[in-house]
Amino acid sequence: MSMHWAQFPYLSAILLSCVVGLLVILFIPRERETRVKWVSLTFSGISLVFSVYVYCAYDRALGGLQFVEKLLWVEPLGIHYFNGADGFNLPLILLTGIVHFTGVLTMWEMKGRVKEFFAFAFVLVLGVFGFFMSMDLFFLFVWYDVSLFPMYLLIAIWGTTRKEYGALKLFLYLLAGSALVLPGIVYLAVVSGLNTFDIVALMQPGALTPGQQRFAFILFYLGFGILAGVWPFHSWSPVGHVAAPTSVSMIHAGVLMKVGAFGILRVAIFLCPIGWEYWAPVMAILATIGIIYGIFVGLRQTDLKYVIAFSSVSHMGIVGLGLSTVTAEGLNGAVFQMFAHGIMTALLFSSLGYIYDRTHTKLIPDLGGISRVMPVASGYFIVAALAGMGVPGFASFWAEVTVFISALKVYPVLGVLAICAVVLSALYMLRVVQKTFYGQRNEQYAHLPDVSFSLGLPRMILVAVMVLFGLFPRLMLDLIQTAVIPFMTGGGMPR
Amino acid sequence: MKWLILGPEIYFLAVAAAFLILSMMRPNGRRDFSAALFLAGLGLAVTLAAVRLEGALFHGTYRVDLFSQLFKGLLSVGFFLVVCLCSNLKGIHETRQPEFYLLLATCTLGMMLLVSSLELLTLYVALELASYSLYALVPLRSGSGRQMEAGIKYFLTGIATSALMLFGLASLFAATQTTLISELMLKLPALLNAPMAFIGLLLTLCGFFFKLALFPFHVWAPSVYQGAANQVTAFLATATKVTAMAMLVRLVSMSDGNTSLARVLIALAIVSMTYGNLVALVQKDFKRLLAYSAIAHAGYSLIGILSMNPTGYAAAVFYALAYLPMTFTCFLVVVKVASDGRDLTIVQLAGLHRRSPLLAMALLVGVFSLGGIPPTIGFTGKFLVFNAAMERGYFLLVLIAMINVVVSLYYYILVVKAAFLLDPEEERPPIHLSAPATILTVVMVVVIVVGGIWPSHLFELARAAVQALR
Repeated sequence: MSMHWAQFPYLSAILLSCVVGLLVILFIPRERETRVKWVSLTFSGISLVFSVYVYCAYDRALGGLQFVEKLLWVEPLGIHYFNGADGFNLPLILLTGIVHFTGVLTMWEMKGRVKEFFAFAFVLVLGVFGFFMSMDLFFLFVWYDVSLFPMYLLIAIWGTTRKEYGALKLFLYLLAGSALVLPGIVYLAVVSGLNTFDIVALMQPGALTPGQQRFAFILFYLGFGILAGVWPFHSWSPVGHVAAPTSVSMIHAGVLMKVGAFGILRVAIFLCPIGWEYWAPVMAILATIGIIYGIFVGLRQTDLKYVIAFSSVSHMGIVGLGLSTVTAEGLNGAVFQMFAHGIMTALLFSSLGYIYDRTHTKLIPDLGGISRVMPVASGYFIVAALAGMGVPGFASFWAEVTVFISALKVYPVLGVLAICAVVLSALYMLRVVQKTFYGQRNEQYAHLPDVSFSLGLPRMILVAVMVLFGLFPRLMLDLIQTAVIPFMTGGGMPR
Repeated sequence: MKWLILGPEIYFLAVAAAFLILSMMRPNGRRDFSAALFLAGLGLAVTLAAVRLEGALFHGTYRVDLFSQLFKGLLSVGFFLVVCLCSNLKGIHETRQPEFYLLLATCTLGMMLLVSSLELLTLYVALELASYSLYALVPLRSGSGRQMEAGIKYFLTGIATSALMLFGLASLFAATQTTLISELMLKLPALLNAPMAFIGLLLTLCGFFFKLALFPFHVWAPSVYQGAANQVTAFLATATKVTAMAMLVRLVSMSDGNTSLARVLIALAIVSMTYGNLVALVQKDFKRLLAYSAIAHAGYSLIGILSMNPTGYAAAVFYALAYLPMTFTCFLVVVKVASDGRDLTIVQLAGLHRRSPLLAMALLVGVFSLGGIPPTIGFTGKFLVFNAAMERGYFLLVLIAMINVVVSLYYYILVVKAAFLLDPEEERPPIHLSAPATILTVVMVVVIVVGGIWPSHLFELARAAVQALR
């Protein structure tokens, strides 16, 4: 039995803190709602601490796969429990930790079926963490599905606008994606003849013929692309985001869509680099359409959550554009954009959640002038909206600049189109901000309290993270670079 | 002492005899249940003790090996679990309860004989013993008369397929001049290009397609699932399916990878999955829904068998192992929620999360396992089956099966939605589970999840069992 535990299993500890959190919640009587929240906060805090630790402790000079945990799981099929951290997944593990922790804080005022909510949320986050850190195709798929099925219940039970429709649409779309991914995974494992699901082993040059790579790539691109919100498979995402309760929207738009994009990176691009080069123009076109489409459809929305949701489609298009350039800068920008967009969207949903809980509306005309009642709560939203526009000083600025520079080099026409659209998007976000927050004071909401310090805590954390990585982007870009450079030059990671 | 290897069979014969005697005494439901529970538990112990036995009897017509013993173990588990559900046997009149246990025991006995028989006539006799017990069990339910329709449907389609199968057995004999499976295995692969042997084998398989409710032998399933008492349906849906999967593995493995046979089976698998899933979408009754889902699952399990490689057979055996707990869990919920012994519509599941959170959780796990969502044993079963099919290069088949999985999730999620989301029209009282019932439910959930997370040992067991086929 091949076993490799280099040190304390930090990555498994992250997963374990989710599992333990889940089990502890299951044993709390359902009336004790505050206790459930504290337990959730504690265990999401533990997983956050571990994810910050692995992020900081990763040896950037050494590079490659670190914190490796490898255990033979099912020998006849070559399935390993194989976790590892590299420059690609560390930002996303950190992102998941932050968004889950702030998500729990955001839901602090929640009432009604609290126990089930936080239990399902732990299952969801467990799946996401596992997906990001797994280096085995079988486990990757298992984690992928584990993160999907609680979504249905989380949205359908605790959601709002058209929640059952939204939940069902999301669930079936995403599982349709997995219907392409699973055959693809089994196909790769079988045709390689290596009898393994180990990604590192399957990355060996020559394991897969160019024809097989081209074929498998498109399966993974479409399968994971549905989850990443690639146009034209995005239509589940606005409906789902709008229907979901606040913290689920945060996790969902902030983290789960990155699961799709990361799936394209880790599975499709890693294992089928020839397929990647072959299909890159198609990816670029779809991504550009996504960017433009998201912006223009978002312009027409009156529901603030739809505005955010369509901006997500557009921002995920930027990730897709970065991936489609087949350059080191493009990959670097795409991964950074995944992180930056995750934090930004989480902040948008979180700040809107506070306003919605008070006013019970998220329609722009109804809210008009809300900043006069809740200046601080509105401030968080405006900060996030500015970040979304790509204002310098926030993390997303660096991510978008990196992507666009590389896109201009490789696809000049598409790059120019995308940049024009993003400039336009600034216009539209400003319009939304103006109409929502700076209108006539709405007397109907005059009595509502502004966000207190403790309730504002999750938003402060998110703003701080955004500014930190906006002022010091090399904290992350250098880390991503340690994975990108060997991958692009050597066609594989140093082991 | 060579008779000792027949331990489980002799024991279940004795159980049947015991209930024959009880049926002649004054009816007493509690006594019958306690006796059945005790005997079933002991039977489980006897069968598990006999798992490692090996040997052949009656000039090679009857063989005890790991393959047969594994399935005998599974059958006695199924028998025990179904008896566990009988504490509140409202669907069957008290005077008929001893007969109910008697027929369950003879049916189990018949299926145990079946998985060990290596000769076509023995196999046929064993199959008929199991079938006739079921023909009598289905209309045993007290009530409106729907059970009679179900019983007659089951009987007529059953004997029709039985006739087909006899014809197939005769053709096989005519083509090969032998009824011993060990000899058939040597002679058949060369003869399968001749129509007589091919048709013979295919018609022989039909007998088990019927048990598995594979399209086009599925017509009985919805009415029988709905018409029979909940406990009988639970037995029908678990134990007989598992046996049918085992027998298909045994018979198909004789063909040694014949491509024409594989083609026929591929067509049947695709049609069965698609038909079962599509019709299930519109069902209102939960047991009927499970019947159509069983038709779809017949297709999935056939994918492993038609791959005709050791991985495929092992995957099919694993699928059988997985199918029993997940289907049983769904019926456990049916029996507990419909405590008056009636049928259960999906709408009646409304508010289950408040009436009994544990049952709602069990339903969630069971249904998602049937739907093939990880980390459940049902997902692992599907994964193994697909893996085996991919090894033979059946990419399209796997893709079609996965699309079917997505379609099926729609109706599974409707069940989950009813249990977790819908509010009941009228407030229903909470469901109180007794301590043993709670333990049983928790054990089933744990088995499904743990079997999904750590499938290694079960898969090794399935592989070892398949090796014994050679």
